[in-house]
Amino acid sequence: MKINRRSFIKFSAASSALAAAGSIFPGISFAGWQNQEGASGRINWQKAPCRFCGTGCGVLIGMSGDRAVAVKGDPNCSVNKGLCCVKGFHSVQALYAKDRLKKAQIRKNGKMVEVPISEALDVIAAKIKETIKKHGKDSVSMYGSGQWTIPDGYVASKLFKGCLGTNNVEANARLCMASAVTGFMTSFGIDEPMGCYEDIEAADVMILWGNNMAEMHPVLFSRMLASRKRKRNVTIVDFATRSTRTSQAADKSILFKPNTDLAVANAICYEIIRNDWVNWDFVKKHTTFHKGKTNIGYGTEDHFSFKDKPEDITFEEYKTFLADYTPEKVERISGVSAKDIKYMASLYGDPSKKVTSFWCMGMNQHVRGTWIQNLVYNIHLLTGKISTPGNSPFSLTGQPSACGTVREVGTLTHKLPHGVVMNEEHRKMAAEIWDVPVSNIDPKPTYHTVEMFRALDRGDIRFMWIQVTNPMITMPKLKRYREGCLKEDRFIVVSDVYPTPTTDVADVILPATMWVEQEGMYGNSERRTQHFDAIVPGPGDTMSDTWQLIEVARRLGFKKQFPWGKDEYIEKIWEEYRRFHDSPKHNMAPYSVLKKRSGVQWPFVNGKETRWRFNPKYDPACKKGTDFDFYGKKDGKAWIWARPYEPAAESPDHEYNFWLCTGRVIEHWHTGSMTRRIPILHNAMPESYVEINPEDAADLGVTNGEKVKIVSRRGEIVMKASINGRGVPPRGTVFVPFFDESYKINELTLDAFCPISKQPDYKKCAVRLEKA
Amino acid sequence: MIKADKNLGKVVTCFVAICLSGTLMVLSANAAPGIPQGYDSGGEKIFKRFDRTPLAVMTGTDGKRTLKKYYELRQYSGSPPRIPHDVPTSFSGDALKCLSCHERGGYDPNQDAYAPVTPHPEYENCFQCHVPQRTKKLFVETEWKSIKPPKLGLSEMGGSPPPIPHSLQFREDCIACHAGPAAVAEIRVEHASRGNCRQCHVPMISTEIRKEFTRTK
Repeated sequence: MKINRRSFIKFSAASSALAAAGSIFPGISFAGWQNQEGASGRINWQKAPCRFCGTGCGVLIGMSGDRAVAVKGDPNCSVNKGLCCVKGFHSVQALYAKDRLKKAQIRKNGKMVEVPISEALDVIAAKIKETIKKHGKDSVSMYGSGQWTIPDGYVASKLFKGCLGTNNVEANARLCMASAVTGFMTSFGIDEPMGCYEDIEAADVMILWGNNMAEMHPVLFSRMLASRKRKRNVTIVDFATRSTRTSQAADKSILFKPNTDLAVANAICYEIIRNDWVNWDFVKKHTTFHKGKTNIGYGTEDHFSFKDKPEDITFEEYKTFLADYTPEKVERISGVSAKDIKYMASLYGDPSKKVTSFWCMGMNQHVRGTWIQNLVYNIHLLTGKISTPGNSPFSLTGQPSACGTVREVGTLTHKLPHGVVMNEEHRKMAAEIWDVPVSNIDPKPTYHTVEMFRALDRGDIRFMWIQVTNPMITMPKLKRYREGCLKEDRFIVVSDVYPTPTTDVADVILPATMWVEQEGMYGNSERRTQHFDAIVPGPGDTMSDTWQLIEVARRLGFKKQFPWGKDEYIEKIWEEYRRFHDSPKHNMAPYSVLKKRSGVQWPFVNGKETRWRFNPKYDPACKKGTDFDFYGKKDGKAWIWARPYEPAAESPDHEYNFWLCTGRVIEHWHTGSMTRRIPILHNAMPESYVEINPEDAADLGVTNGEKVKIVSRRGEIVMKASINGRGVPPRGTVFVPFFDESYKINELTLDAFCPISKQPDYKKCAVRLEKA
Repeated sequence: MIKADKNLGKVVTCFVAICLSGTLMVLSANAAPGIPQGYDSGGEKIFKRFDRTPLAVMTGTDGKRTLKKYYELRQYSGSPPRIPHDVPTSFSGDALKCLSCHERGGYDPNQDAYAPVTPHPEYENCFQCHVPQRTKKLFVETEWKSIKPPKLGLSEMGGSPPPIPHSLQFREDCIACHAGPAAVAEIRVEHASRGNCRQCHVPMISTEIRKEFTRTK
C-alpha cells in the first residue's frame, strides 16, 4: 500500500480511534482484511449466477455501497440451495486485483500505449474494413467463449454472420463442449441434456465417466454425497484414468487405459444383451440401430475434413458387432478386469436401480468424443434408463454459459441461433429476425477453432477478435498458434479484464467489464438460463463485450441492426433472440421472468419449466399418447450406434513412453486469470505441478517436489513433481493442471481432434520424463 | 490521548450518521430480491448437539482461540475459513478424516489446541470450501476490502440477551461454535448447558436493515 502524508494521518487517526473503541467495547476485534472506509455496515444482497463453472450455482453478492464485500450461496437457487465452493465463496475478490485492465491499449511501434476507448474502437472498425477489402470477408474472424454472456454471443453472431457475411465465428466451447453437442445430435437429433440436477437425488447409482466431480463440480458432488448419506443404498462409481479425490469418496474406483472407455462401454452393452437386461419394450418402440464410418482419422493435418455416413443396421447386426467386446477381450485392451466390467453392466442392467451417468471433459476432450457419447447413450437406451427422474445420461459443462451462449445461440461456424447455416429455412429465419438480406448469410461453414488458428498461422485469416478467453494458454500444440498470432500482417484484438498471455500477443486491448459489472445471462448444464444485473460499476473505461461489438458494428454502418440504447439493450437483445426458439421444444422464459428468478429452465412453456425432456409426463413438446418421444429425430426414435474402439492419435512408444493428461484443480478455474488473483485460492495452489506414479518416480530417481523435465514431440517443460499428492496416476501416466501461465503445458499437447465434433483431445498424448 | 478521544467522538457520531443514512439508502434499493433469511429449520441441530455433548466439554475453557485469529482466516465475515494447519497434499478432504477432529472437537497435542467444532458436519466434501495455505505470497496485489465483522454485545437493553448477529446459513448449530474449549474466547458462552439457545437469542443480522413495525391497513 502506498502511503502519502494525507492518508498516513487518516490511517493513524483511524487506528487510534479503533484502539480506543476496543477499550470501550471489550471483545471487539478486527479482521485481517482491509475495512471499507465509510461503510454503513449494512449489506444489500443481489442475486447472480456464479462466474465460474457450468454448474450454475446461484450466489448472493453482498454489496456495501458500490463495492462487493461478501458472497453467500443463494438459497432460492435449486442448483446449490445455498451452498458454494471455495471459488464461488471468494468469487467477488476476482473483481479487485490491482492489475485490472481499465484503459484501451493500442500497439504503436511495437509498444502498447493507452488510448481513449473510442479511438481503439475506431481502429478495430477500420482494420475490419481494410482487411475485408484486401483479403475478402473470410479473412476476419471472431473467437469468443463459453464465458460470453448470451447477449455477447448473440451480437457477435449477428454482426459476423448476418452483417459481415462470414461464418468465421467460433468460441472456446469448441475445445470444451463440441463432442457433447455432436453426441446429442447423432443420438437424439437435438442438443442438451434430457435430465436435470434433481436426477442426483433420485438416482440409486451414479457412474462418473472420467469426471473428477469432487474438484470440478464440487457442489453437485456434495449433493451426491448428501443423497448417499440420506438414502444409504446409493452407489457412486468412479471410472477414470487416474485416482483423484472423487475416487477416494466413491464406493468403487475403476481405472482404465486412456481411450479404452470406448471398448468398455461396448462391453457393458454386450453384457446387458448377454444377460437379457435389455428393456425390449423401450428398445422396440423408441430406438433404431445405426453404424457410421470407421478409421476416421485424427485431424492433425491442415485442411482435414470428414463427413460421417450413417447407415441403418438391424439389432442382430449390432449384436454381431458387439461380439468383439466380450469383457474378457476388453480386459486385455482396457486393463479393466472382466469382473469390474460385469459389475458396471450389472448396475446399469438391474431393473430395480435408477442409474445416472455423469461426464464432462474426459469424454468430450477425446479423439472419439462423439463416439463415446453415443456409446454411453447406448447403455441408457438399451436399458430404457433415460428421461425419467434418476435415469439420466448427463453431460456436464465446464463454463458458465457454454450451453447458454455457444450451444443455444450457436456461436460456432456452422450454427445459427436456430439451426445451421447449411439449411435454407434456417438462414431465412435468421435473415428475417436480423433484418439483413438472406444472401448475406453464407451457406458454407468455414473454420472450426483449431483450423481457424491454423488459418491465422497460414495467413488465410488476418484479423481475429478474441473475447473473454485465453487461447494462448488453452490451444493445444500452443507454440504453432502463438507464433501464428505474432506473424507480420496479423491483427489481434483482445477484450479482457486482466493481462494474460493472450493480451501479450494483442495489437489492441479492450478493457472489458466483468461478470456482474454488466447485465447479462448465462446458461448452465441443465438448460437453466440465469440473469444477472449490473451490480458493481465497472472501473475506468471498461465496457461490456456486447457493447464493444455494438460500437464496432455501428462504425461499420450497421446502425439499423444494432439500434438499442444503453439502458435497454440487454432486454431488447434477449427478446429478439428469444424469437429464434419460439417452439415448445426450446421456448425461453421472457426477460421479466428471468430477472425475478434465480434461473429458469427451458423449454419454458405456458409458464412452466421442463425438468425432463422427451417424456410426455414432463415435456409438453412430446406427442401425446406415447411414453417417450425423442422428437429431435423425425420418427421420434433415438439412435443406438455401433461405434468401435479405436486408439488415441498418439500413444506411448519406446521413445515417448508416458501418457500426458491435463486438467484442472478445485482452486483454479480455466486459465487461472481470475482465480489466481483471489488471495486464498492462489495461496492454496500457487503453482502447477506434474503428478507422477510413485513407482515411476522411484525409477526416475525423483522425489516429491523435485524438478522433472517433460518432453513431447511438440515441446518441453520443467516443473515440480507431485508424488502421492492430491491425485495419483497409474504407472505410465502423468497429469498436469493447465492453469499456470508459467508452465504452459499445452506447448506439449497435440492438436488431434474428434473428426465429427472437431474438439481437441487434451487428455492423451505421448511424453517422456527426465530428471531435471 | 485527548486528541484520540476527540477523534473517537467524531468517529462515533459519524458512524451513527452513516448507519442511519445507509439504512435509508439501502432500504430504498433493496426492495427487489426478497431472499429468505430464515434457516430456522436447522434449529434441531442444536438439540442434537446438546444431547451428545458432555457437560464437561461444554463448560471447558481454553481461551487460546481469539476473534482476531478467527477473522484472520477469513476474507470477509461469513466466508469459509482457510485451513490454518498443515494437511498432507494426499489428504482427500475425506469427511472421516476432517470430522475425526472437527465433528466433536477435542485436544490435539500436535497443535497444542482444541479442534474447533464444525456447525455443518453434514457437508462432507470439506475441501470444496476450505483450502490450506501453501504460500503467503500473492499472484497480484489486491484491492479487496470488506466491511467490519459484526459487533459483539448488541443487547437491546442492559442485560438483555444479545441477538444473533450473523446469518444462520451453515451456522445453525450454536453450541458448535459458542461452547466448549475450542470456542472463540470472546463469543464463548458460559451457559451452554441450558441447551435451548434460541429460547433467548433470536437472529438480528447486523448487516441487514432493521425492520420497523408499521401498520398496514
